[in-house]
Amino acid sequence: MTEDRKQSSLMDDGLDDAELDWHLLKSWETPRGIWKVIATVDHKIIARRYIVTAFVFLILGGMLAVAMRIQLARPEARILDPDRYNQIFTMHGSTMMFLFAVPVMQAMALYLVPLMVGTRNIAFPRLNAFSYWIILAGGLLLWISFALDAAPDIGWFAYVPLSGPEYGSGKRADIWAQMITFTELSALAVAVEIVVTVFKQRAPGMSLDRIPLLVWSMLVMAFIVIMAMPAIVFASSTLILDRLVETQFYNPAAGGDALLWQHLFWFFGHPEVYIIFLPAAGMVSTIVATFSRRAIFGYLPLVMAFIATGILAFGLWVHHMFVVGLPRLGESFFTASSMAIAVPAGIQIFCWLATLWLGRPVFATPLLFVIGFIVTFVIGGLTGVMVASVPFDTQVHDTYFVVAHFHYVLVGGAVFPLLGAIYYWFPKMTGRMMSERLGRWAFGLIFVGFNLTFFPMHILGLLGMPRRVYTYQPDLPWGGLNLFISLSALLLVSGFLVFLIDVLVAWRSGEPAGPNPWKAATLEWATSSPPPAYNFRRIPVVDARDPLWRYPEELAVTAGLRVDRRELIVSSVVEALPEARESSPRDSIWPFWAAIATSIMLIGSIFTPWAVVWGSIPIAVTLVGWFWPKGTAEDIS
Amino acid sequence: MMPGKVLNVSVAHLSATVLLFSLLVGLSALIGLERQPRQFRTDPPVAAALNQLRLMPSGIGGAPPEIYFALDRPYEASAYDLSQGKRLYSWFGCASCHGDGRGGAGPSLLDGWWSYGPSVVAIAASIRDGRPRGMPAFHNRMTTDQIWQLAGYVKTIGAYSASLAAPSRNDDKHTRPAENRAPAAILFHEDLPAQPRSEQGPPP
Repeated sequence: MTEDRKQSSLMDDGLDDAELDWHLLKSWETPRGIWKVIATVDHKIIARRYIVTAFVFLILGGMLAVAMRIQLARPEARILDPDRYNQIFTMHGSTMMFLFAVPVMQAMALYLVPLMVGTRNIAFPRLNAFSYWIILAGGLLLWISFALDAAPDIGWFAYVPLSGPEYGSGKRADIWAQMITFTELSALAVAVEIVVTVFKQRAPGMSLDRIPLLVWSMLVMAFIVIMAMPAIVFASSTLILDRLVETQFYNPAAGGDALLWQHLFWFFGHPEVYIIFLPAAGMVSTIVATFSRRAIFGYLPLVMAFIATGILAFGLWVHHMFVVGLPRLGESFFTASSMAIAVPAGIQIFCWLATLWLGRPVFATPLLFVIGFIVTFVIGGLTGVMVASVPFDTQVHDTYFVVAHFHYVLVGGAVFPLLGAIYYWFPKMTGRMMSERLGRWAFGLIFVGFNLTFFPMHILGLLGMPRRVYTYQPDLPWGGLNLFISLSALLLVSGFLVFLIDVLVAWRSGEPAGPNPWKAATLEWATSSPPPAYNFRRIPVVDARDPLWRYPEELAVTAGLRVDRRELIVSSVVEALPEARESSPRDSIWPFWAAIATSIMLIGSIFTPWAVVWGSIPIAVTLVGWFWPKGTAEDIS
Repeated sequence: MMPGKVLNVSVAHLSATVLLFSLLVGLSALIGLERQPRQFRTDPPVAAALNQLRLMPSGIGGAPPEIYFALDRPYEASAYDLSQGKRLYSWFGCASCHGDGRGGAGPSLLDGWWSYGPSVVAIAASIRDGRPRGMPAFHNRMTTDQIWQLAGYVKTIGAYSASLAAPSRNDDKHTRPAENRAPAAILFHEDLPAQPRSEQGPPP
């Protein structure tokens, strides 16, 4: 840093509000034009893209579920043939888990975390842009393969040997494995951004014990992603190596191990459940506090429960494998650990109930979805404790009981809070309110439809109906319940339709929201709705957990940032003491080209190993463009 | 900030993206309709038609049934049918005489020498009806579908040019490279047709 550079730069302290807005907008805004929009690194624009993309995949995955329910509505139906049905249930699971649930939760983090911690952009914004294009390419790969009648048909967990070279003929399993690679890349990139943003970019004064609970949950989620995803990176890469270049990782005859796949997959797959659930828990904590009109009950126990869930998440993957034949000690250990996870979950539930109990709850639509979440998630948790017991699990393994259980946990534990969160943050993202009336209808239809659809599946499972069958015989006692489930599914679908209509109508012509329509306490409500490109005119200073309740009139702010370039505050990890002024990267088209080059390499590697060799050349070129030195100082302390 | 204007721009971008996405998927669906579906059970009339093999009086060579061409030569070009054929090869004990393809008590299937001609219909007929000197008939034990799948597999493993569709390796000890590696003849240096074996009697 030299003295004359400081002289020439324009600081924010001498400017009035209008001038400051003008200068900040000039530095931070994404200009018009298709290439400028593709090049943007604004976390809000990218997060919005992520959310819309994820909801498109939710609709597509939901349509597949409807197709399966139509096929199963009566015995011996001929609407789908078995091969198509296999593809459809694989597509449904893969789309919902990899292209909807994880991206949408991370997208909510991308949108909300920088706003909630009071900074101007996410850390590594170009990586963020890259991650979006990558997951879009992965989604396109999967769905184009489905349209080409070459979609994976091996289940969303792709067990070997079914997905291995001997039984997984064609390119279907390779497409699945590389689709997973795309989603791994994107999820890992976002996780790193979240961790760095939370640790290093918090507003001055926001010490660790003042971080909003949603940010805590997203931080734990990001750490789970960083530790769980490498297992599936290894799994999908070795699977494709086995299939493509004749390695023998999963071939017992050559010294490989087929069970290795299940261990690797579930070492990722079980934490995956918490990757989806923890953000939802953060959303619930936020919504419950706002609508109870009081601070959350048990902030510390909740944070500890999030972290405990994150740690325990890695100790119970084997309960997915109880029927593969385990030593007695293994069975006991993983039964105990599976039941232990109910402890932090119980702490969370009781903290939320206590907050509601002690506050004056306003039952607006977001809170309704949270109530729906508590009911369904507790039912799912109870069946979870049931299947954690080995003898019971042996009985119901691979039956519809398990299907019912994990839909209660995933839809109850993640989709209900997510819909509540959309109702809650939609005004912030768009500046418009969603309809309270349609919201109540959507909640009622989804809640009733969901329970009528999935509760009878418990009974079907106990009656012995296996999962993943494309039809069943008329003399089996399953016909009536299946018809009932299929009809209830239509109710559930109609609920989602009402929700979508509400979103579209509100987006076009909802009531203007104002900066803080819910009278909430966290920092994202301290700026306009939608937030300007630079998020905050001046970075706030925080000395409370609920800054907007403590200081409803005016927040203390910082000064001393440059406004003629993108600049934000880097603060210390624990106490968030300001450490440096850091420049934030400008828009760049290179992440887009890098994503295209990476996609070409990954898709090419489905067909020939040489794609990795030749495909790395364009990737190197795009990375050189991406990281080309700019000649400006990166940080000034 | 003007929320309305910003939003309309982003709505336009989003709808353009969604449109592009559906266009791509729709286009591939059109191509997908042209592809051969993976059938777990062939329609009975189609199977009956496929069973109408027409051989020359000598039993060597012949013409596949009309339906074979109407279906655009199935069984030889899809990896699924070929790996089903490979599975049938081991399930029905083909290896007990033909080994891993290099022959044993029965003739080799890799050397490019076909006692009854290289056409798929001759191979299917050999499997269905059997041949003199030890080749049993399988028409009582296999469906027409399975016979064709096995015939398609046997034909491709002995082909001289590599095919785009091939089954992959089995999860077993390997006595020979996988079928998707390269033409069999190059791998086994069997570029000359093997001499007919005297113990099998005079060539047909």
